[in-house]
Amino acid sequence: MMTGASRAARTAVRTRWGAGLGCLLAGGALLLSSPSCARADSTLGPLLKPLGLHEYPSRVVPPSLNGGTVDHQQLATRDLLGKVILVNFWASWCRDCRPEMPVLERLHRELGRQGFTVIGINAREARDVVHRYARELGLTFPLLLDPDGKLNTLYGVVGLPTTFILGRDGRAVGLAVGPREWDSPSARALLQALLAEPVPRPSAP
Amino acid sequence: MQILAVSANSTFSQTTFAESLKLPYPLLSDFPERKTIRAYGILNERSMTAIRTFFLIDPQGVIRRKWVIENPGGTVVYSDVVLKGIEEVIGKP
Repeated sequence: MMTGASRAARTAVRTRWGAGLGCLLAGGALLLSSPSCARADSTLGPLLKPLGLHEYPSRVVPPSLNGGTVDHQQLATRDLLGKVILVNFWASWCRDCRPEMPVLERLHRELGRQGFTVIGINAREARDVVHRYARELGLTFPLLLDPDGKLNTLYGVVGLPTTFILGRDGRAVGLAVGPREWDSPSARALLQALLAEPVPRPSAP
Repeated sequence: MQILAVSANSTFSQTTFAESLKLPYPLLSDFPERKTIRAYGILNERSMTAIRTFFLIDPQGVIRRKWVIENPGGTVVYSDVVLKGIEEVIGKP
């Protein structure tokens, strides 16, 4: 059964890629500046608005997500290309962050095969604090440590939780300051619309 | 009266900051060159960030007042101090 939200999502995808084809062929520089690209992106608006997300009209490139995770893995932006990413900034002391975590874990597990991933970025806490929190809540998505707050500063985060949605092209789509209902039909419609986008070809080395 | 805020952060970072605080005035990014910050003489060469400073510029483009915040973590800037400076320069509204 197709809900109203999923119909809107599919329409949005068709409109975006139909209108945006010229932008993609025109090259990276024009992708950022061409007015037709901005119009194509604006069709995401109806999917972002119900969630109260700030929209990036020209889909800017966010800072790199390179760093070490709580379980001693290295995460690099290049490994994430082609995925829809939800980047969630959080801390163990943040009361509004906690209810989001099981929801994000569920989405990460459920949509992972379709190319979706959640990345948690902790704010200035020690590895053992993050490890304990992750174990308590059963979190399996990558949790980046940011003990000196560099990533938090690069992303301009001044309040928690703060969440960014990135499309398969690695560019920023939406920003949420404060908690959101990430399991709501609106959120799922947005994620499905982004997951329906083509996976970009890797650039030549 | 127009408020402009300048920092050495990227526009991406500033967008998050502005959205978080619902700021009603523009933020200008001086990243990565830091030309404006250097030209105003308030670049901290060690951290490559701006020393927190308020400049009051009159309609002729002349800097009329300057407030340097030496200890940004511990100093509260009260708006009445700045408002008093504005009134002294352009008069009461």
